[in-house]
Amino acid sequence: MALLVEAGAVLATSLDLTTTMGQVARLTVPQLADLCVIDLRNEDGSIRDVAVAAAEQRTAEELEALRASHPLDPAGEHPVALVIRDGTPVLLPAMTDALLSSFAQGSEHARFMIEHNYSSAAVAPLSVGERTLGALSVLRLGDGEPYDGEDLELVSELARRAALAIDNARLYSEVRGVEERLAAVLVNLAEAITVVDEHGQMVFANQAAADLLGTPTPDELTSAPAGTVWPRFLVLDEDGRELDLDAMPGRRLFRGERAEPLLVRNIVRATGEERWLIVRSSAVTDPETERVLYAVNVFENITEVKRAQLAESFMAEASRLLASSMDYAETLKRVAQLAVPQLADWCAVHLLSDRGEIERVAVHHTDPAWRAEAERRSLTQRPPLDKRNGVPEVIRTGRARIFTDIDPDALARSAADPQDVELLKEIGATAVIIVPMLGAGRTIGAITLISSESVRRLSRADLALAERLGRRAGTAVESARIYTERTRIAHTLQRALLPESLPEIPGMEILALYSPAGELNDVGGDFYDVFEYGDDRWMLLIGDVCGKGARAAGVTALARHTLRAAAMGGQSPAGMLDMLHRALRRQPPGADLCTVCLVTIERTAEQALLTVALAGHQPPLLIGEDGRASQPGQPGTVLGVVDPIDIRETEASMSPGETLLLYTDGVPEAGRSGAQLGEAGLLELCVQAPGLPLAELLGRIERAALESAAGRLRDDIALLALRLT
Amino acid sequence: MLSLRGELDLASAPLLQGEIEGSEVAGAAIVVLDLQDLEFIDSTGLRVLLTAHERSRERGQEFAITPGSQQVQRLLSITRVDEHLRVIASPDELLV
Repeated sequence: MALLVEAGAVLATSLDLTTTMGQVARLTVPQLADLCVIDLRNEDGSIRDVAVAAAEQRTAEELEALRASHPLDPAGEHPVALVIRDGTPVLLPAMTDALLSSFAQGSEHARFMIEHNYSSAAVAPLSVGERTLGALSVLRLGDGEPYDGEDLELVSELARRAALAIDNARLYSEVRGVEERLAAVLVNLAEAITVVDEHGQMVFANQAAADLLGTPTPDELTSAPAGTVWPRFLVLDEDGRELDLDAMPGRRLFRGERAEPLLVRNIVRATGEERWLIVRSSAVTDPETERVLYAVNVFENITEVKRAQLAESFMAEASRLLASSMDYAETLKRVAQLAVPQLADWCAVHLLSDRGEIERVAVHHTDPAWRAEAERRSLTQRPPLDKRNGVPEVIRTGRARIFTDIDPDALARSAADPQDVELLKEIGATAVIIVPMLGAGRTIGAITLISSESVRRLSRADLALAERLGRRAGTAVESARIYTERTRIAHTLQRALLPESLPEIPGMEILALYSPAGELNDVGGDFYDVFEYGDDRWMLLIGDVCGKGARAAGVTALARHTLRAAAMGGQSPAGMLDMLHRALRRQPPGADLCTVCLVTIERTAEQALLTVALAGHQPPLLIGEDGRASQPGQPGTVLGVVDPIDIRETEASMSPGETLLLYTDGVPEAGRSGAQLGEAGLLELCVQAPGLPLAELLGRIERAALESAAGRLRDDIALLALRLT
Repeated sequence: MLSLRGELDLASAPLLQGEIEGSEVAGAAIVVLDLQDLEFIDSTGLRVLLTAHERSRERGQEFAITPGSQQVQRLLSITRVDEHLRVIASPDELLV
């Protein structure tokens, strides 16, 4: 029993197979055996001796050499081979030379055994469960007591224990192999990995984790007390909400919750560096209690992918804003709002005016108080163009500037403008990016981004996106400016085509309404005019030139001035239109077509005498106080396209309270087929309320026309109304 | 024969203008603008109509139109353009 206890102690001390087996073998000598051999079966089935112990060391060495040169045949008759094959112990109480020779591995082996007086042997299998790992052999040499059944039992028990130890040692070395391989994998992985225990203590970190978490070596992380690593970071979710440590998947595991991978925006408080990480955690649990022992956290750094994705969506949104309106001052304000807080804490936009002055058109900060304060500041309102640094420099050179890790004290000692330094200090700026806004081949302004109170700081990584924004905004401003210029020219032209204001006519109330269709850029189309051309003789006219644009504008101007000249020259209404017709025919070919409704008015004591001449135009509406209406005039040929023309004059009279309405076909024909106001609809509107003030009447007609056109006129609307008072 | 459908205005007039200058129309002996399915015409459309008429006269082609919608007919009569164009009841009238 003492042997077994001693063996137990030996077997428990070490897990190294060779050492342990050597110790076990030596234990048996000389108490139990003169010679002890432990053989193991290799995976390929061959047999090797792992331990040989003998009373005389030379004997052991000789046997080891012999076994090395003559390995046991696993299929042979040697008792070790038999035991390993069958898994049952073998007792050989008395061995004869003939027996020894029968299972010897060759003559040398036989001679060795005979020379050493092999007399008795007990061989027990090293078995674990069904598996036989090898055999333990004890031998008596010379005249010693032969082994009996009791000895065999003892040897078998010893073998059983040794087998368990062997198996444990194997398992251990296998497990250690796995662990070592795993550790090697973890250490060398590019992804950051940490292992945290239930107390929040980091017990493992690889180099990538150290790099990510900002320490030179993993050891510094694992030796840092629990809870001291987390506060070094600001951790936000995708929408910018700050996350608690308990929200991390590793923490969830310890609470027995499911731990879905989590996308976080991680900002290093010390440097303002921003990273996007996917955190995945898995649990290491106690196999028996199923308690979570460790959380293994894997951090995948997707900063570049995420930044590119955010930059794309930011640019898409910015482009949409910039394209949404031609009012660029308003649009740039919205772009500044978009940049804050997504990109920076502050955003300012400066433009270079035609006069070569820099003007701030937008400044934004999330806090309205700060914003108001900034707007009040004159310093950044109009920085002089020759100022050395900042916005003027970027506008002059067209090159972006970036200032990271701003230290106001260091700045103060530099050549920077003291007022700028003061401002940067005041708002606590940590980084500034100024990018040029590029128009067609020139810098037309600059966008300034500043990070200040946010933990996140602007970095070089933000520069590319800022520059893209500058280019996009520059293009948008440039095209808006061109558009605005064209609109301004169109307005000017249109005003030249229409009378500045209508003359005051005694005893008459007169009002015009003009609503151009489509873009303001298109001039021409409808026109009207009212003027006195003799003693108390007035002319009202309204007309329509086909087409839009420069040519139509030219024809419109020609029509107005020719008719004025003809009236002053004493022509009759039909003569005036004939003169315009001939003027149009003298124009370069292209069938310039013009319709006119012309009405001359001669005021008498009680009423007014009207002469109506129509050239391809609808007759005017004459609406009585009682709501009865008439349309004086006879159809006349449209001007400028066919010869000869036939224009007739129609006379009518008008009493006080009556209303005369001249209009262009854009009024009844506004809207698509079927939805039009129509001549009948227009007439109805007029007769419904004959006493309505003129402004209200014209307003109603315009609204009705716009409604039928669903807000989009396809032709101009011109209305000219006159009421005798 | 060119059949016009829908609306002839500032937006669609260039299409007709192109057709008129096309080889098919230029090589024909008779040009008929069939306006039976034309719902709307404005002053620009009218001008293209008259240009077509003018071009046909230069080429020595016979030119005619068929009546369009009420609006089309009204515009042609207000402007008295109908007096200068040959208006036929249907395209078949010229072919027999």
